[in-house]
Order: sequence, then C-alpha cells, then structure tokens
Amino acid sequence: MHLHTLNQSPAQSQVYRQALAAMADDDCLLLIEEAVQGALPHLIGPFEGLAGRLYVLEEDLVARGLLERCDDNARVVDVEGFVSLTEQADKVLSWY
Amino acid sequence: MNVNKANEGMNDSNIAHTSITPPSATGELLVILGHAPHGSSLLREGLDMALVAAAFGRRVSLLFMGQGCWALQPGQGEGALGQKGTQSTLEMLEMYDIDNIMVEAESLERLGLESSDLVLSVSVVDAASVQQAIASHTLVMNF
Amino acid sequence: MASTEIARYLEVGQQRVALDPEGYLVDLTQWTPEVAEALAVEDGLTLTSDHWEVIDVLRNFYQRFEQAPAMRPLVKAVGQQLGADKGSSIFLMRLFPESPAKVGARLAGLPKPTNCL
Repeated sequence: MHLHTLNQSPAQSQVYRQALAAMADDDCLLLIEEAVQGALPHLIGPFEGLAGRLYVLEEDLVARGLLERCDDNARVVDVEGFVSLTEQADKVLSWY
Repeated sequence: MNVNKANEGMNDSNIAHTSITPPSATGELLVILGHAPHGSSLLREGLDMALVAAAFGRRVSLLFMGQGCWALQPGQGEGALGQKGTQSTLEMLEMYDIDNIMVEAESLERLGLESSDLVLSVSVVDAASVQQAIASHTLVMNF
Repeated sequence: MASTEIARYLEVGQQRVALDPEGYLVDLTQWTPEVAEALAVEDGLTLTSDHWEVIDVLRNFYQRFEQAPAMRPLVKAVGQQLGADKGSSIFLMRLFPESPAKVGARLAGLPKPTNCL
C-alpha cells in the first residue's frame, strides 16, 4: 500500500488529479491542510471512488471549523493516525 | 550498469512494441515533476535531484505530470530577470544516461500539448503505467 | 553557478583574471588558452594535445547545456567526441588527476560542476 497525501483544496488546484492518477487500487489518500475541504459533501466529488481509502486529518478540519461538516465517506484520523498510516505504507507520496 | 542495459535490450527484443509502458520502467529513483518552469524552483530542484543521483550511478526515471508537463514545451528561454531556463538541462539528461522519461497522457491532453511537439522524446503513459512506475522504483520523490 | 566572490587575481600577460575562492574564473568570458596554461601551471600540469582536446569537449558541453558536466557525463561526452578509447575515467584521471570534472572545468574556464561532490 502507498499512502498519498494531498494538501491543496480541489476547489483551488487540480493537483488532486495527479494524486488520483497515481493511486493504485489499494492505495490510500490522506487530505491535509487546505485539502481537508475535499472531505466536505459539496467538494468530495473527485474522491467518491475511494470508499474506505479516503482519510482526512482531524487537526486540520478542527482548525478550520469543518469537523462537523465532514462527509461520512471520509475517515477522520488525527496526527497519530497519520503516523500509523505512514508506518503501514511502503511509500509515501505527497501531492502539493 | 552496462550489464543491466544489455539485459534490458534483450528483453526488449522479446516483447511486442505495443505496450505504452517503456521497457526500462524500473529503476532506483523515480522523480515526479509536477510544477511548471519559472513559477517556482521546484522543477529545477527536481531535475537537480535527478542529475545528482545519476551522477552517482543510480538508475533514474523521470515522470512529468500536471503542470510539470509545461517543462516539455519547446522554445523556452530564461526568465525576465535572467534566471536560467530548464530546456538546456532537459537536453542534457541524455548525457547523464537518464533515458526513461515519461509523461502522463491525460495531463498532456488537458493542457493541449501534443506529444509530437515536445522538447524531448518521451514515453506517453496512462495512469496504470504511472502506478506501475511508482511501484517498481525503490525511491519516489515528488517535486 | 559561477561564483561572484573574488578571492585573488591571476596575472596572464597584460590580463588580470579574477578567481573565486576555489580558483575558478569569476568572469567566464576572460578565458583564453593562455589563461588555461597559467591555471595549469598552478596545478603543476603541462598541457598536451590530449588536455586541449578534453578542454574543447568541456567548453562544447558548457555551450550546449549551460552547465559543467559531472564525471560520468564528461566521460560520455569525451567518448562521443574523441572516440571510445578516450572515453574512460582512467584516461581522464591521468590528464587531470584527482578530480577530472573539477580540474578540467577550472582549466576550461567553466564554473565548478554542481552535480558532483
């Protein structure tokens, strides 16, 4: 499994397209920083195919007041969860 | 190094040339270039990383995606303040034996770039080949 | 990158050639074959026709790619331009001992190669 992190909002940048193209079927995507917007029902569209493999960083949601608005299809993880995903992954790629 | 090349050459002749995955899609370092020239220094930093690794004898592959594809636009020059362009560096890759150079098909198309009109001869690859390249390189660095 | 810091001057005939702290030319346009001779004397080298051929390869490389080559691409460029028997690190080590890419770049009036430690 490879872990991909994305830090740009899909409302702002198209770099998420590269992350999605680079993701194999068992890879996971973690939304961090501005990219946590992609976990909102209104903006989750591009990530809908990632059922169970889409993660979003709790601390970055909380900081932006977005935790309560997060879509059910995104799995909320805190920084420790991020670390544990990193440990499970063979490679970590960051898209920015 | 030469032994590897020879082996690759032999395998190459045994497979049909219909695949868009280049025969030497494996290597030690894959550098993904996702940022445009001139807008930031990321493209240059990524290319420098690739050159350093190649200078130390590592087998390096390059993959252009998204905005990074603009690096392949012909006719580039230096920046308005005289900052060096990247075209001469791209032309130099061959001298560092960096010859596995890929560009993602969808990115090219989205930007309106034609694979026949790029500064380098590159392999145009689909998403599955991108995933395979990531899996088959020991180290992947994203610039 | 050529350094802009002037550490000392080399007197070559009427010319004063500024050198950076590592002995590379500060102003690359000041290079002449006489400058190369003077730099070679500092390194205890006598330039033969083999040296000049390689200096020519180095200058062509820089003109074409805007960077001084590291060792591997230098070996390759020498092989391409001067023939396979000269495209070897042993041949280059004999001409420019210790670090052919660095010593060669200095004598050829190029900046220090960036991709070589």
